[in-house]
Amino acid sequence: MANGAQDGQATPGPAGVEVVPVSTAGLLRIGARPGLLEYLKQIWSHRGFIVYDARARVSSGNRRDRLGSAWMILNPILNGLTFYLIFGLLLNTSRGIENFIGYLIIGVFLFQISARAITNGARSVQANKAVIQAFNFPRATLPISVNVREILASVPVLITMLILILIFPPAEDITWRWLLILPALFLQAVFNLGVGLILARMISRINDITHLLSFALRVWMYASAVFFSYERFIEHETLLTIVKLNPLFNVLDIVRDCVLYATLPSWESWAILAAWAFGMLIIGIVFFWKAEESYVRE
Amino acid sequence: MSENKQDGDGGRIRPTVVVHKVSMRYHVPSTEAHQAVPGGGVGGLARKLLGRTPLVPVDALKTLSLVAQHGESIGIVGRNGSGKSTLMRLISGQSNPTRGAVYASSIPVMLGVNAALVPELSGDHNIILGCLAMGLTRAEIDDKFESIVDLSGLEKAIHLPMRSYSSGMSSRLRFAIAASVDPEILLIDEALNTGDAQFRERSKERMNELRAKAGSVFLVSHSLGTIKEMCTRTLWLDQGDLVMDGDPALVTAAYLEYTRQLTKGNFDTAATLREEARSTLVVTEVETQGSGRRKA
Repeated sequence: MANGAQDGQATPGPAGVEVVPVSTAGLLRIGARPGLLEYLKQIWSHRGFIVYDARARVSSGNRRDRLGSAWMILNPILNGLTFYLIFGLLLNTSRGIENFIGYLIIGVFLFQISARAITNGARSVQANKAVIQAFNFPRATLPISVNVREILASVPVLITMLILILIFPPAEDITWRWLLILPALFLQAVFNLGVGLILARMISRINDITHLLSFALRVWMYASAVFFSYERFIEHETLLTIVKLNPLFNVLDIVRDCVLYATLPSWESWAILAAWAFGMLIIGIVFFWKAEESYVRE
Repeated sequence: MSENKQDGDGGRIRPTVVVHKVSMRYHVPSTEAHQAVPGGGVGGLARKLLGRTPLVPVDALKTLSLVAQHGESIGIVGRNGSGKSTLMRLISGQSNPTRGAVYASSIPVMLGVNAALVPELSGDHNIILGCLAMGLTRAEIDDKFESIVDLSGLEKAIHLPMRSYSSGMSSRLRFAIAASVDPEILLIDEALNTGDAQFRERSKERMNELRAKAGSVFLVSHSLGTIKEMCTRTLWLDQGDLVMDGDPALVTAAYLEYTRQLTKGNFDTAATLREEARSTLVVTEVETQGSGRRKA
């Protein structure tokens, strides 16, 4: 047949070519990417894998450290202390902020949750090459399971955060508004997952992005009003509107309003945050799914 | 086998695995200094500045088509680096081919890969995780758990993190997990097996069980005896080329003679043998009809 010219470089050509008609109907292509809906179904049917993976790794996360899981809480406390010394006492960014310690604690603790979830989600595909090559399963389950793990791991962190706020004066009253931090944290987690999915695909291709990620996160932290308030440094109206579109700022704003200032967060904050969270999730899933076939390549 | 390929289904055959014009090319860093590596100019300069070794293409597998039918046991022989393991990885989906596609009637399962799964997790956690990843339910896993631990022979070590395992131990665990399902298409890469004598005995038993149940088997082995004993068809690969495809006795005999000549240093005789073998090869060309069902 038309073949034969293909292996021209092999010394003697084969004796002949036999054409075998094969119907590929009913066969599945190995490693092929399923349709988006089918992919989502597969992820759902692997929910047992996601939850098990997440729970198994929560307990093994800090096993190499002597203080183990205590670092989950010590880390933001030490961070908060550093920021308190430098920004609160030395640079005095606390001026004009009511209950600066509470303000700072919420900023540092919640930023750390996002930073960890995004970093680990971004590395999830690269770090699990062995599992990817050993088994055939929807790869998006890896970043999802990392994010579930981070949610589980953040529970003690959040409880510590609230306890610290209650300990440090001025004392805050516990109101029904405290419950509103749950939907805010949920939206934050959805946003983290979306970003993690996007970065996981990028890093699986170009590993160098891991080096840039820590810088990007630092810039994001400084831009999110973790230890100062925008109003003090930004006078330009339009610029202020733009920086207030930052999703993490809106998480912090909502939680601070509920916990510290006993005010109802504005609907704009909720809208901006929800748009970011679900927008990123949809973009993230589609973007990650598009490259499903490429993750097994080394 | 060409005569029995055409029967049934109005001239079409019902295959379990179809390898369609597949080729595999790796790009690997090379430390070879004086070599015609493409990219002097800007690319070469950038590489030098960044301290990266140049990448050279390696053709692990040249264009290959293959049809495996239900009931066939296909042995693959060849020297190291002939593309045996690459072919197995392509069929099992552990790598995607550079060109072409592999179709199968169900997801093939590969036995005998030496890979740590999640190093920080203990062996028992890895068992559950691996089984969940293969799509088993918790109830099924609970049923199989004991037999997997038994097969792995790890005993108390099953509770230790996998990073503390020796390479033999982790490959035993990996084998035991993969062998816990009854696949229709079974891939066995013996060349990668590193277990001790006791484990080899045990794994052989399980492999025979699975082989009896499976629809198609692909077996890579350096033991020509095993190939002759277990296979109904044998492929000889050499440097990414398919050299022979046919009766196990004939193919293993030709391959054995070829390697003997090489060991003696008679490279010319060996090359002639290879050419002779290849000149009798009838290459398969797959004509695909109908679109494949898309699934992972």
